[in-house]
Amino acid sequence: MTNQTIDRDAWVTLAAIAQLLHHAAVRAWAQAETEGPRSHLHLLGLGIHTASCQAVAMLPADADLEGQPPAQDDVAQLLRSAEELTRSIPVLDHTAGISPLVVAICDLVREATP
Amino acid sequence: MNRQDARSVGELLLDADFTTRQVLMDVTGEDAPAMLRTWGEVVQSASELWATLPEPVRGATSPIDGVTMRRLESMSQGMHRTQVRQGWPGDGPADERLLHVAETLTRAADLIGRRGGHIRPTDTAVRADLDAARMRIMHTLYVGAHGVGVAARQHVADVELSTRGKSSREGRGVPRGQDAINRLAAFEQLAGAYVGNRFARAAQGEQVRGPYGTERLQQALIGWDIQAHRTLAAAPTAANLLLASRTQAGIATAAGAILHAGARTGHVDTDAYEHRLAPTVDATQVAWTHVASRWAEMTSPADRTDLDLVHAAGELRAAVREVAHDKTTWARPDVMAGRVDLGEAAQHLQQALSAAVDVACVIRDVAAQDTNLTGPARAMSHRADADIDFTDPRQRGEDVVWVTPGDVYANRTVAIPEPVRAGLVDATDTLVQTAGNAMSAAACLDRVTQDRPPGSGQEPTTSRGRRHEGPTLMAQEVPRAARP
Repeated sequence: MTNQTIDRDAWVTLAAIAQLLHHAAVRAWAQAETEGPRSHLHLLGLGIHTASCQAVAMLPADADLEGQPPAQDDVAQLLRSAEELTRSIPVLDHTAGISPLVVAICDLVREATP
Repeated sequence: MNRQDARSVGELLLDADFTTRQVLMDVTGEDAPAMLRTWGEVVQSASELWATLPEPVRGATSPIDGVTMRRLESMSQGMHRTQVRQGWPGDGPADERLLHVAETLTRAADLIGRRGGHIRPTDTAVRADLDAARMRIMHTLYVGAHGVGVAARQHVADVELSTRGKSSREGRGVPRGQDAINRLAAFEQLAGAYVGNRFARAAQGEQVRGPYGTERLQQALIGWDIQAHRTLAAAPTAANLLLASRTQAGIATAAGAILHAGARTGHVDTDAYEHRLAPTVDATQVAWTHVASRWAEMTSPADRTDLDLVHAAGELRAAVREVAHDKTTWARPDVMAGRVDLGEAAQHLQQALSAAVDVACVIRDVAAQDTNLTGPARAMSHRADADIDFTDPRQRGEDVVWVTPGDVYANRTVAIPEPVRAGLVDATDTLVQTAGNAMSAAACLDRVTQDRPPGSGQEPTTSRGRRHEGPTLMAQEVPRAARP
């Protein structure tokens, strides 16, 4: 068993997760607008955006999320990348909220994967 | 069990956690019976592992921690007894992945039992280690319970669809599955309270089970409307306005899909749907999306959104999915009609389309009057130039600086330039207009409701026979019944 203490790396990882989710929501909405007002991707984008809001809420107030957007454009792949990043974040009191976020992202992966 | 397994307890716990995540990402309704058969073993293994962890030093941690695990084990045993009594899901294969989780947790317990007897949780680092292990176990149960619950819900939906119109014997899996869903939801909520802490509420949209079907949709729509007004009154930030607009766009999208299904299955007047509802609802969806993209330009990814608004949006999305989604896309009209009374759903959407007009007006007022609106300098500079090109081409090429080069260079947060505000006001004016049109068109749904004979229940309020009765509310003033 390793001693898991929350450190700056965890916040940096969480910020990267928030960035990936933000980009995934933007991509989903862009595709939705191409498909038209009835596209189910409008609601997928909304779900990803709310997960992104959850991730941002866990970050320190001065967190920096600017920077280059991720190179990937595939929504399901972006979500999978976000889930993979959550694996390195310890589940502790300090990171309370990571469990619901993990569940939300896994649900979105299932929803986005044909 | 691999005798050569040299992994540490921490690695085994991660394995169990990651396996439950994989299950959750891949799960289908077909997996439900095997998962329900195996879930009890996972919980039992987790409980045994928990018991092998050295007890916390008195006062070092809350005694309620152990109580939570015992309650979860008790709930799991209760589920198992019910399954045996009901004979469902009965004998059959176990779920291999959940079995792997149970075996992994048992392996971790063995490891501690054989080699960890000397551990005394007096040292701070050791105590932190033990707390982390307990959190990881509870997290695994939380994610796992959610996955089994998803499978059970999908299974029940599949059974409902395949046994529609058949004997009660064939459809008896539905109430038994529903019972399992409710128990798993309670289990998940309890485990979630342990690991979710401060932020659990924001994520409960998909998890807390209350009413089903149209009742859930109605409550979610009302809850959203109330929360949107509260949040926009207290904190009309661009981030909150973005989520509000995107959610309203989602409501219009869902309305389009559900009303389409209603028209196809005889619950909504086909003529009214094709000529009035569909065009106006689609137009308001486009207007909400356009306004949302304007607010998005004024936000940065780090901007915070009101978590109560996030929660309300999550619940609304979950309620829509329950009625209208099938895996990765919209459910077929007959599938939606099999789940809920689409005439009733149409009424709730009609009210939501009316309420949307007021939300649109609130947003227009913020756009026109809020002097605190700001945005990132670069995006504001680009938007100001683009809006000037669009609204007043004579100014094109004129060297007007809407944002200072210094602000653009540092991408500081700046007050929105006048052309950006003007563009925003134009967009929100259009939004109010289209939302009003959709509300007027949707009034015909109210008439269908009033025409419905008392006690019609699930019967389609078919408009096929009513289609030629006369003009709809679009052309004729008809007194509307007061709504609660």
